[in-house]
Amino acid sequence: MLATSLFVESIGFGLITASVLAIAAVGFTLQFAVTNVLNLAYGAVMIVAAYVGYVVNQAGVSVWIGAFASIASGALLSLLLNSFVYRPFQRRGAPAVSLVIVSLGMLLILEFGTQAWAGPTNVSYSMNQGATLTLGSIVLTVAQIAIIAISVVVMALVHVLIRYTRLGKAMRATAANRNLARNCGIQTDRVVTITWLVSGGLCGLAGAVFAMNSGTFGATSTDLFLVLILAAVFLGGPGEPYGAMLGALVIGVATEVSASIVVADYKDVIAFIILLAMLMIRPNGLLGARV
Amino acid sequence: MVYYITTLLVYGGVDAIACLGLSQQFGIAGVTNFGFIIFQAAGAYTAGVLSLPSDSANGGFQHYIGGLSLPFPLPWIGAALVGGLLAVPFTAIVGKRLRGDFAAVGLLATAVMFNLLVTNYVPLLNGAAGLSLVPSPLQSTFNPYSSGYQWGYSAAAVILAFVTYLFVRRITNSPYGRTLRAMRDNDVVADSLGKNLRELRTSSLVTGGAIAGLSGGILVGFINLWDPQAWGYAETIVLFAAVIIGGLGNHRGAVLGAVLVPLAFEEATRYIPAIPNEPGLVPALQWVAIGLLIVIFLWFRPQGILPERRRVILGDRAAGGETAAAMLAAAGTDANGERSTGRGGDAAPVAISGEDPREPMPIVGRRVPLAADEVVLDCEGLSKSFDGVRAVDAVSMSFLRGKLTGIIGPNGAGKSTVLALLAGTLEPTAGRVHLRGADITALPAYRRARLGLVRTFQLASEFKRLTVMENLMAAVRDQRGETFRGAFLGRRYWGAQEHEASNRAAAMLERFGLSGLGDRYAGDLSGGQRRLVEIMRALMAEPEVLLLDEPMAGVHPLLAHEIGMQLVALCDAGITVVMVEHELSIMDEFCDPVIVMAEGCVLAEGDMAALRSNAKVVDAYLVG
Repeated sequence: MLATSLFVESIGFGLITASVLAIAAVGFTLQFAVTNVLNLAYGAVMIVAAYVGYVVNQAGVSVWIGAFASIASGALLSLLLNSFVYRPFQRRGAPAVSLVIVSLGMLLILEFGTQAWAGPTNVSYSMNQGATLTLGSIVLTVAQIAIIAISVVVMALVHVLIRYTRLGKAMRATAANRNLARNCGIQTDRVVTITWLVSGGLCGLAGAVFAMNSGTFGATSTDLFLVLILAAVFLGGPGEPYGAMLGALVIGVATEVSASIVVADYKDVIAFIILLAMLMIRPNGLLGARV
Repeated sequence: MVYYITTLLVYGGVDAIACLGLSQQFGIAGVTNFGFIIFQAAGAYTAGVLSLPSDSANGGFQHYIGGLSLPFPLPWIGAALVGGLLAVPFTAIVGKRLRGDFAAVGLLATAVMFNLLVTNYVPLLNGAAGLSLVPSPLQSTFNPYSSGYQWGYSAAAVILAFVTYLFVRRITNSPYGRTLRAMRDNDVVADSLGKNLRELRTSSLVTGGAIAGLSGGILVGFINLWDPQAWGYAETIVLFAAVIIGGLGNHRGAVLGAVLVPLAFEEATRYIPAIPNEPGLVPALQWVAIGLLIVIFLWFRPQGILPERRRVILGDRAAGGETAAAMLAAAGTDANGERSTGRGGDAAPVAISGEDPREPMPIVGRRVPLAADEVVLDCEGLSKSFDGVRAVDAVSMSFLRGKLTGIIGPNGAGKSTVLALLAGTLEPTAGRVHLRGADITALPAYRRARLGLVRTFQLASEFKRLTVMENLMAAVRDQRGETFRGAFLGRRYWGAQEHEASNRAAAMLERFGLSGLGDRYAGDLSGGQRRLVEIMRALMAEPEVLLLDEPMAGVHPLLAHEIGMQLVALCDAGITVVMVEHELSIMDEFCDPVIVMAEGCVLAEGDMAALRSNAKVVDAYLVG
């Protein structure tokens, strides 16, 4: 029975990881779909936003308010990245691989710039985890439940945005075919800019909840998490927001369950294996065309 | 001081070797391996466990597999071998159809994950603590701490770097190297010319992996320890920075980059005293600087300090063919590096060659006797759907030997898709394709090209950073020097055939009136000239069936006429030509029969006169 309860408990952890991952993966995939940039500096932006939340938090403000600062800084930083780095390269007709290399360069600049400023030691938010709630063998703190709730609300908002708003429709059109969308009178440049803001905001929020969830964090803490994000994104199909949600759920639960079965040190390996398998067999996602 | 200098020399040699491996893999073959550092790590670990005694030695304080106490130079050889072998499974990621940036992401994730695994799984390679007390080569004979040994080791590292340079230069300056560069510039087109992308990428990964492995082996013998911190995924970015800054596609640039980036930035500054109270500041700023260097160089000087040099092919051609103006223009674009030239509708200078274009072409090797009404290529029930849209719907066509068949139809009729399905660029949803009666539906594009079914593309598809001559010669089939082995055997092995190919290419240029442009980069030509290069290149592949996708789009009418005459001459020589075109006057003049397509189906077939009186066709073309 012990094994079973451990298994159920791990599903609880998996839901939390999936919640953090879903916010990050939906932001990443939305960014890729509309802007066509495979932005590997995404994890670095997350961590910068997490630090902004940390600074606010250190000033005596609650982490939940600080999360708004993270959202704002993630959005702003992503917008700047696009205007001053990615878009100029894209305008010049740089190939996709060059942009990926540039994004790696930005990853180094952002992560180690943060480290140079904040120092190499990890920091933690000062927050109250709240009471512990027990549901069967799943044990969660109020803060963890709040993270799950935030994620669910954000997913619902993303759903409303892309399905029921003019902006969402314009985003989908731009993602499907930018030239055609422009010819149909959609201001694609504006749509792309707004997408950087929205996906950057999601990235910032993901940074904040990642920091809350992981306890302590440092400038390079998201390096491994980026692999999880990529696995979730590619599992659902790059550029597919609903796929990313599903991918995040699968990856989040799979990693934590595998941690309960094997050893916690290797829990992320399952995500990596899924990512490689997807790249080799179905790079367009589970629902995408077979290659 | 001696120690400092020798350390720098060894690191310099090791970095140069690694950068040369990456230069070959990324700069020449265009394979974006963001996991490059794991191959160096594999080499270092291999050399370590091959030279270390069994792990119960030294009180068993470290755990690792192997421990064979092998004598020098076996650990170094093992390092290169394992580096090369490790590359083999990665071919599945960089395989034919995966986008370059997706493959890069997969390899990056692999690097992160390998590091995690080796760090956490102690019995394999002693986990996070890593290997230590790795024996120096020949340490039982010499004293590794003597300055003589130190100098000797540096000399060995530098000499091996030089040997590596000679090696990569040899395989780059061969038909194999040219094919790799063609694949780098445009892999879909290389595929359509009969190049096996998977094989080429495998050999590039293995070559680069083996070179990286060797560099790791040399390094670990000198520093005597190796742990996961030494090969974080970010170390790969340092090597990419070095190769980009030195100059992509230029091996000397890679060596320069190795000296400028990893050596000057990481090793030479290792002894900068840490700023008090800010222990991690200097290393962090170094990483920031690496990131900045990459972004700044890719923006301001993407071709690097030493740009890829233009390879002039010396053949039997008259030296006077190149005008001073053309030379000047080429020199000018060299300074600007690769300039993306928009595809313009400008006309190429039409040099009408003296000879009669109807004269059979001696430059096309394959001459097949004409049999009346022999079907060379046909398809039945060919369909292709994109996301539920049926672009091509159960199309059946057959093409007769020696005929110039035209395919016309309004935009979106599925003409280009049919061509792509025939050539194997796209896989059909349903239907079969036959070449000379044999079913080739399952064959990939490169195999079809080798059978004589060659296509051109609607969009500009020249190999931009190859000269016009190189573009043509890259298409030659069955080149002796086109395999890794052939390239390694050297010019003596492939030189004669190469000479013959360059003569054929020169004759082709003369025939199409482009003799003066042979040594220009194809990417710098005008739109019309590039169309010609593509047709010439396809002809160099000795096609039996030539599939042309709008060969005359954006071409000056005079030149279009010239191309048409050349195509007719080809048909007279027994070649089957299928041409997608919009321009009805071209169809009138050259094509018989003509197939009309609309909405994915064949509407009618016949000569133009009959089609013009066909009400269905007129409706589709004028109304649809």
